[in-house]
Amino acid sequence: MEKFVFFGGKGGVGKTTVSSAYATRCADAGLDTLVVSTDPAHSTSDVFDQQFDDDPKPVEGHDGLWAMELDPEEEVEAHMQEIKRTMSDQVSPSIVNEIDRQIELAHRTPGAYEAALFDRFIDVMRDADEYDRVVFDTSPTGGTLRLLALPEFLESWIERLVSKRAKSIDLYEKAAIGDKDARRKAEEDPIIERLQERKEMFEFAGETLRDDAAFYLVLNPDELSIRETDRAIQNLTEYGLGVRGLVINKISPEPDDDEQGRGARFLRRRHETDRERVATIRETFDEPVVAEIELRIEEIKGDLLEDVAAELDLEVAAATS
Amino acid sequence: MTLSERIEAYREYLMEVLHGLYHGMIEHPAYELIEKEAEDTDDVFLFACFADAFGIPSPISYYTAELLPYLGEEFEQWERRMWDRESLVERKGQQYHF
Repeated sequence: MEKFVFFGGKGGVGKTTVSSAYATRCADAGLDTLVVSTDPAHSTSDVFDQQFDDDPKPVEGHDGLWAMELDPEEEVEAHMQEIKRTMSDQVSPSIVNEIDRQIELAHRTPGAYEAALFDRFIDVMRDADEYDRVVFDTSPTGGTLRLLALPEFLESWIERLVSKRAKSIDLYEKAAIGDKDARRKAEEDPIIERLQERKEMFEFAGETLRDDAAFYLVLNPDELSIRETDRAIQNLTEYGLGVRGLVINKISPEPDDDEQGRGARFLRRRHETDRERVATIRETFDEPVVAEIELRIEEIKGDLLEDVAAELDLEVAAATS
Repeated sequence: MTLSERIEAYREYLMEVLHGLYHGMIEHPAYELIEKEAEDTDDVFLFACFADAFGIPSPISYYTAELLPYLGEEFEQWERRMWDRESLVERKGQQYHF
């Protein structure tokens, strides 16, 4: 089993529950486990009845289990402050205002939020040495997929930037034949250096996602989430990230035979439809169904979490690397 | 001043004039051309980095903003150039001295 395990899926299917349950199981098996919630609407705190923040905190009542909730907004702010600080060392005060505007602008664009989340993502993967297993409870399908597609996309973009910059420096050097000093030199260009750093970071992320991560999709037995799962699998495969298995959550339970009330009839019908859909899922998808979890009456927390964990047919053993 | 000295001085003077002529007619325009090309490439680079300064949303401006402290002067000049530049013909035309 890979070190990084991702649970994704449509909104509201129970990703947080499943990933928390899986993490608990890993921790119970003696692995130091970290649950990372990347969903902007964090609910890990609700599952464990404990407030988490941007730094890993031990989960009360579970040995070897830590949790954290990524906050991109905080990251965006910190990133902006950092740039402004560097700037005041580098640039003459007369043009600081002009550039300030651009920096603010860059941090207000919609992409900034994703980029910041992605940065935190990479930080977590980089600093994960002390954990045996890191479980990512990701945001609903669309957002996550875009996030996972980022490394490749950004890598190629930065590559193009570097080559443009290198070309202009090369031209400046050529223009400075004779006793003139080139306006710029390739070896000491801080721009290329920074861009290279970034590129290495994206390469690391791309490699880790491809080689060291496993993806599971959570879905409910209903048309919408089946279709979305189908799309998600296609997309992930496109990015070279195979889906390891499916977790079907919220399957309606069957009432006892002697119950004939209106509620029981409803539930029986519901249960039949759900069973049909589960069968369809098993038929249509190549990916194995690793767990079927019944709908519970209460919110899943505490002991119920352990029950759900037991239902997960997922190996927890540490990677042999 | 002996004859040879005078010849020497004259030759030096001639060399200077010739070099100046060469520099003005060939060397300098060539340098200028290359530098202009370099500046153009730089402009493209800056545009790729900060397209959002002109209202084109760019997914990487979050990352390229990190470069701004090092690009300071350049960025400001570039922005002014981009707003002022009337046409590509005008810019390209600058290299011919009529």
